[in-house]
Amino acid sequence: MRKFFLVVSLCLIPLAPVAARAHAFLDHASPLVGSTVPAAPHDVVLTFTQNLEPAFSTAQVTDSSGARVDQGKAQVSGNTMTVGLKSIGPGSYKVHWHALSVDTHSTEGTFTFHVGGH
Amino acid sequence: MSAIHRCSRAVALALLFTALPFTQAFAHCFVGARFLPATLATDDPCVADEMSLPTISWSRTADMPPATEWDVGADISKRITQDFGVSLSETWVHIRGPGGPTMAGFDNLQTAAQYQLLKDGSHELAMLLGLVVDWGSTGAINSGIATPYSVLTPTYYFGKGFGDLPDEAGWLRAFAVTGEVGYQVPSRSFDVVQQTLIPQVLAWSGSIQYSMPYLKSEIMDLQLPDFINHLIPIVEFQMSTPVANNFGNSFVTTGTVNPGVIWVGSYFQVGLEAQVPVNAQSGHGVGVIGQLHLYLDDIFPKTIGQPLIGPSTPPQQLKF
Repeated sequence: MRKFFLVVSLCLIPLAPVAARAHAFLDHASPLVGSTVPAAPHDVVLTFTQNLEPAFSTAQVTDSSGARVDQGKAQVSGNTMTVGLKSIGPGSYKVHWHALSVDTHSTEGTFTFHVGGH
Repeated sequence: MSAIHRCSRAVALALLFTALPFTQAFAHCFVGARFLPATLATDDPCVADEMSLPTISWSRTADMPPATEWDVGADISKRITQDFGVSLSETWVHIRGPGGPTMAGFDNLQTAAQYQLLKDGSHELAMLLGLVVDWGSTGAINSGIATPYSVLTPTYYFGKGFGDLPDEAGWLRAFAVTGEVGYQVPSRSFDVVQQTLIPQVLAWSGSIQYSMPYLKSEIMDLQLPDFINHLIPIVEFQMSTPVANNFGNSFVTTGTVNPGVIWVGSYFQVGLEAQVPVNAQSGHGVGVIGQLHLYLDDIFPKTIGQPLIGPSTPPQQLKF
């Protein structure tokens, strides 16, 4: 049994450089997750911990009634996803994102930001 | 067969996996926006490609006077399909009594076959069924570490994140719980060496955890230091209650409560917990357990991090 785990460990070491990519976590967003901004932003920018597959990564923004307020398909460049916003007023907005990292790992999430005095 | 030859065969097998079809990979325990880390004392509720190497614990036994016990374990889990996986575990045990003899050796080999019953992303809920087998006579029987009989444990696992609570719940949404309940059935009912009954035991364990990564990415980015944003404070517990075939013996529940923390990275996690015995029958004083856990699906995403048998469809175009 000792040999078994030793062999497994030894075998994994040379494979390490084959690929070193992982799940794409949301590293930070603008506006910040859960934040309140004084003026309506023109877009939402999501920065991930890994590069993304543009064809399979996207985001949408909805207002408190569930209506979409984004301008459509998100733009993906490297580890950044940007989605433009329509003209929005004070209120709470939800950002729903789905990311596929370049090694096909899939992640998703939702967060809220607020505009104005909410 | 030499280690080099075994390694060569394993590498060749791994290279074959590179021809596996392009599929979306969720692998270790993601349920919707929730990531449930591999817990140290219990198992997470997902099939996965992962390896714990090593898990090291130190504790003092319930004997009087207490002996000092070191355990060094390793386990590897592999998905066969997206929903079915197997795992192998082995632990080296070293027990030294005060002025008494030292017992050391490997415990019995443990295997598990697990099936993913449910992953509900919107409710951050995962359920798993498994059959855990401790294979008798595969460890150091003569040292008193392993048993000559096997133990079969049908086990149910679950995990639940609270991200589906209303937004008004705020930071409480970062909490999650996991648990497992198993019924241990020994392959023998009587130990002829010890001249005692071998009880059937209810094994129940779980965790409550608070995810700082979830807080940052789903609820509120407090712009804390990066190290803090990777932490998951956790309290685990693991209990055993004899429930049958235990005539004349104590039916008292034994176990530990383990407060600690897990640091989660992209390719591995590191966990450290204290082990607090719940009563005198569970041990003396506070023990410690630590673990390095590797996400094989992230380290080797196109080889051994893929299920052996998987769907051949490419990722679906998203409909946003």
